[in-house]
Amino acid sequence: MSETGAMRDHWYPVGMTKQLTEAGRDTLLMGEPIRVFRDGGQPQVSDGAGRALPVIDRFGHVWTSLGTPAKDLFTIPEADQPGRRLVDVGVCRVRCSPLRAVENFLDIAHFPFVHTDILGSEPHTEVERYEVEIRDDVDEVWATKVKFFQPQAAKSAEGGITTDYMYRVCAPTCSVLYKTCPPKPGEWDVIALFVQPLTETLCDVWPWMALYDDDAEMTDLIHFQQMIFVQDRSVLENQLPALLPLDPGMEIPTRADMTSIAYRRWLKRHGFTYGAQLVAA
Amino acid sequence: MPTDWTPAALSDDIPAASAAPGQLGPHDLAIWRSASGRIAAWADRCPHRGMRLSHGYVRGERLSCIYHGWGYGEGGQCVRIPAHPELTPPEAIKVPVFRAVEASGVIWVAVEAPEAPPPEFPGFEAFRSLQVKAAPEALAGALGGSGLVVEAALGGATVVALIQPLRDGAVGLHLLAPEALGAAELDALSVAAEALRRRVEEGVTA
Repeated sequence: MSETGAMRDHWYPVGMTKQLTEAGRDTLLMGEPIRVFRDGGQPQVSDGAGRALPVIDRFGHVWTSLGTPAKDLFTIPEADQPGRRLVDVGVCRVRCSPLRAVENFLDIAHFPFVHTDILGSEPHTEVERYEVEIRDDVDEVWATKVKFFQPQAAKSAEGGITTDYMYRVCAPTCSVLYKTCPPKPGEWDVIALFVQPLTETLCDVWPWMALYDDDAEMTDLIHFQQMIFVQDRSVLENQLPALLPLDPGMEIPTRADMTSIAYRRWLKRHGFTYGAQLVAA
Repeated sequence: MPTDWTPAALSDDIPAASAAPGQLGPHDLAIWRSASGRIAAWADRCPHRGMRLSHGYVRGERLSCIYHGWGYGEGGQCVRIPAHPELTPPEAIKVPVFRAVEASGVIWVAVEAPEAPPPEFPGFEAFRSLQVKAAPEALAGALGGSGLVVEAALGGATVVALIQPLRDGAVGLHLLAPEALGAAELDALSVAAEALRRRVEEGVTA
């Protein structure tokens, strides 16, 4: 009980609403067996003892908590703008800490090396200074004015462009990014990473998107995002230690890692340590 | 903690400009060879974000991490951070380095340089490495010997078997075959080595 710490009282994705059946799906949340199912049309979640857990149905996913969340699940106001296509990408299981999965999502410096010739390419490797803050009013980590040169920023992109990004960490294992939208200048595409912590070193990752893209086939949009995440997985499953080190001496960051540094600081401040390592082993 | 040389891989299995994972006691290694042919064994962990360096890539005389392209040269020193091309990386960013030398087509590693060089086996050449799920003694016994260096009869040939203790109940078996063995004889040796592995592993589970 104590090892789940302060993260216990937060919301986590546990399945795609559309895929939910009456028979349901057995899964894990922070090491505890739960069942996600449909009853009378409504999504339900029960714990190992059959006790009903709180449920929210939002962003195409079912959300629950083992504890008592003090506040509602975050919102993504841009997702309600008319004309956006909402894309449930599906699930990708990764043998890594849920916190490492989020940290990787916040990182742009790996694009030329992990997503070569798609989200980045040499020699365009430089990360210019950007702004990072922990916004106390909403208790979220925000990175803004992030820029990166990308050969193929999105399924809809033709040729290389410099893409603007904003990143937002709105829950311990959830992040939303906003990026230049090639077909609609002035608007942002929204891509979210919802991470279900199965254990401290195993997670189900549910990417979700709200895009302005009228042309691409839904399956192509899904495949593009899945391809990106499979590339990320090859890194995430090979980091040592598996747990995210919150001890600053354990890993050496550079200026490009300002978002990661703020995320780690924010986790530590709140005692969000499920999937983290506080002192060097 | 091994105080002597440990055979970790065969030279031919790490060609120029490549990297592969290895082990030395409790340490995970990135064993890599530069474009000019220099062999090195480093800790298998990039100091930046913990990514295994054995997944990295070699350009020239540098090993780079596959995650963010951080490049490491002589002595494990970080020499390039692509996110900040103008920056000279601080000296503190350094990968721990192990000793690595080659002899008789085998890559030998050690934490500190042992006083004596690794053994040579005149008349033999490196042939093949296998991983066997067994204790070192069980494998040496099956080869009709004891210790970590066994001269044995296998597949109709006399071979030198170098046994490398690994973690998780496994051992590395690095085989040296007599020089100038023909293709058919080498095939027979390979088949015999695989049969030996099956026999030893079945002995373990039985």
